[in-house]
Amino acid sequence: MIGRMRFWPILLFSISSALAQDAGATHADWPHYGGTQLSWRYSALDQINTSNVKALTPAWLFQTGDYAENLQATPIVQDGVMYLITARARVFALDAATGREIWKYTYPEPARSVPGFVGNRGVAIGDGKVFFGTKDNYLVAIDQKTGHLVWRVNIDDPRQCGCNITAAPLVAKDKVIVGGTGGDGAHRGYITAFSTQNGRLAWRWYVIPGPGEKGHETWKGDSWRFGGGAPWLTGSYDPALDLVYWGTGNAAADFYDADRVPAGADKSKDINLYTASVVALETDTGKLRWHYQEIHDDLWDWDSAYEVLLMDREIHGRMRQVLVHMNKSGITSVLDRGTGELLKVFSVPEVQTWISGITEDGKLVRRNEPQIGKTTTVCPTAAGAKSWNSMAYSPRTGFLYIPVNELCEDITPNDAPADEGQNYMNGAFPVKLAPGRSTYSHVDAWDPVSGKRVWSMPYKYVLLASMLATAGDLVFTGNPEGEFFALDARSGNKLWSYQTGAGNRGGSSTYAVNGRQYIATSTGWHVSVVGGALLALFPDQDWRLGSTLVVFALPEGSR
Amino acid sequence: MKVLAILCALALACAAQDVAKRGEQVFVKTCATGYCHGVRGVSSGAPRLAGRGFNQTYINNVVTRGITGTGMPSFGERLSKADLVAVVAYVATLNGIANPDSVAPVSSGPVLSGEAAHGAKLFSDAVRGFGRCSTCHEVAGFGISVAAPIEQVPATVAAFKALATPNVRTGTTAGESMPVLVLSDRMQSTLFYDLTSTPPVQREAEPGAVKFSDGSTWRHASVIGDYNDAELAAILAYLRAALK
Repeated sequence: MIGRMRFWPILLFSISSALAQDAGATHADWPHYGGTQLSWRYSALDQINTSNVKALTPAWLFQTGDYAENLQATPIVQDGVMYLITARARVFALDAATGREIWKYTYPEPARSVPGFVGNRGVAIGDGKVFFGTKDNYLVAIDQKTGHLVWRVNIDDPRQCGCNITAAPLVAKDKVIVGGTGGDGAHRGYITAFSTQNGRLAWRWYVIPGPGEKGHETWKGDSWRFGGGAPWLTGSYDPALDLVYWGTGNAAADFYDADRVPAGADKSKDINLYTASVVALETDTGKLRWHYQEIHDDLWDWDSAYEVLLMDREIHGRMRQVLVHMNKSGITSVLDRGTGELLKVFSVPEVQTWISGITEDGKLVRRNEPQIGKTTTVCPTAAGAKSWNSMAYSPRTGFLYIPVNELCEDITPNDAPADEGQNYMNGAFPVKLAPGRSTYSHVDAWDPVSGKRVWSMPYKYVLLASMLATAGDLVFTGNPEGEFFALDARSGNKLWSYQTGAGNRGGSSTYAVNGRQYIATSTGWHVSVVGGALLALFPDQDWRLGSTLVVFALPEGSR
Repeated sequence: MKVLAILCALALACAAQDVAKRGEQVFVKTCATGYCHGVRGVSSGAPRLAGRGFNQTYINNVVTRGITGTGMPSFGERLSKADLVAVVAYVATLNGIANPDSVAPVSSGPVLSGEAAHGAKLFSDAVRGFGRCSTCHEVAGFGISVAAPIEQVPATVAAFKALATPNVRTGTTAGESMPVLVLSDRMQSTLFYDLTSTPPVQREAEPGAVKFSDGSTWRHASVIGDYNDAELAAILAYLRAALK
């Protein structure tokens, strides 16, 4: 028996062989929210590169006409057709070379007003359909060729749960999987999977374990029913391991824990599983394979809901299947994605006062916790060392590209009781500029193996747009002043920029049609939630709203 | 008469202060929190509200309707009438209106008895996930209106379990049969709910792509299995009270 077991590691290694170096790279298409299901936001296209990016110029632009909020969606491209969604779920299929509208689907405005923020970060495609979530909490499938409704299913009553969908769904195998908002409300978060074919429920995984389930003992009394944890962004999928990876939201109440931690003799139970965690779920069943909690008993609104990047890297001389994940605090974990073992951890913001540091095994040192009756100043803020906008990863440089904000906040918590579906942050936290600085954000390159910053490019205000990396050794993103720009992936030097006319707070993608490479970016600032709160920090600024997709290419004949 | 009027005025002022106090509690939880107006409306991201010279009509309009194109949502349907009046009164006090109008809160809906109140909770009990009544029924502003509005409440739990559902039919497409609730079957398209599993899936098909026939193997009894008889009785009590 023992002899037989010794063979297992070798067998496993050969079955789940390492990812190819560019496994997470896109090519002519940009089929998923994060580029591929590995979520690198990296393209193998290199027609546009460091030597010619100066010539990059607009090829076409598309005005959505939906200016209710802004355009946050990452454009999805397949076979020369782009799929784009606006804040109020108007979905467009566009000729990706010209911007010509092929079809348009307008999701009906809900008859009644529904709570929750209005915004949409993208569609998913698969099984001949385009999938998206709505502000009234439906998951919708429309025909990829015609734009006609195929099916739609309600996730939860938004008037009761105070939740809805702003994230792009994830398609994995024959399932479309979606997370929802509500992590700052009295709500129990979950991830739900449906059949791509007919919309029937496949599984639902609750972030907070119910009575009788492992982890339930980490919640006080009935607090598990309203403890938050909503996984409000998009996960990743490893086809070889057949595991879906997702980040979960913060515990609620956000800034006050006395009603949710058991506070018994065993302090190790005071952690509120599985909030502020990365989880690995079996794709067919939604069964939890492993979890890694980044913040035990979160008291700062430190979501772990952000993107999960899957890659293989050599660590201590051994090729490891890893995932990289950043918590809202800026704590970034490198885990073995087969087991959840922590391999490396580092923190990206320069100003950090909520802890004095983090140990190699991920323990937070000297937590500076908000307390009732006091105002506690911490840095970074609930707006995030990084917001929901994604980082990118280039296998050519081996670096992560991360936009980081340097802000602080004064947290004054309260002990209001939970009220189902209502705001349950339990605190005011006016955000302010980090003291003694003249720049309040930076684009960084980080090596996830060494945990070291390789370069950093400072910016005066804040950065809230997603990153895009390419094999042309370029890194693209945009700023609130409207500038969309390209940095040298190896040095951080700015090589090109273009004034798009409105604040950048969305996603970018790159693709090719008939051999021509395009770079597409969503533009338009927004003033709800983080965008508005951070604009208020710079009274002389007036970052412009909008809802326009801007697409760039090298001039015809210059390639 | 004069004495009475003074007493009334005093009583109203007292009531207004009570209402504003309640409004402060609503404000702390709903408006001061998050990225919004901050403690006492001094701003935490969203605009400052204190000392802006707002009058009460303006405050009421903005709170009720929201401001399109900004982060200010409409609270008209989100807060109870009483909370709405209270929070408007409180914001008025932040703008120097010492005795804001505080229209007596109108109680909305019938007052529920112990069992009916318990039934109301069970009807939309989130712990039951898609096994709760509100997955398919909308009552008193909660739930998803998959089924037509409930017109008759069964008299007993036994009748509840034996409920006939003649409007559930059988749809057949691509060799697959399923219980369906047909919404429309027109020239342009066919819209129906697939009741094979919960939650029901609304589906659209080309006209003629799905063949419908009367009758179904689907039974209402099979989707209320998450509730025991006592719970079903409480739900019936709730429905009788709510649909009176």
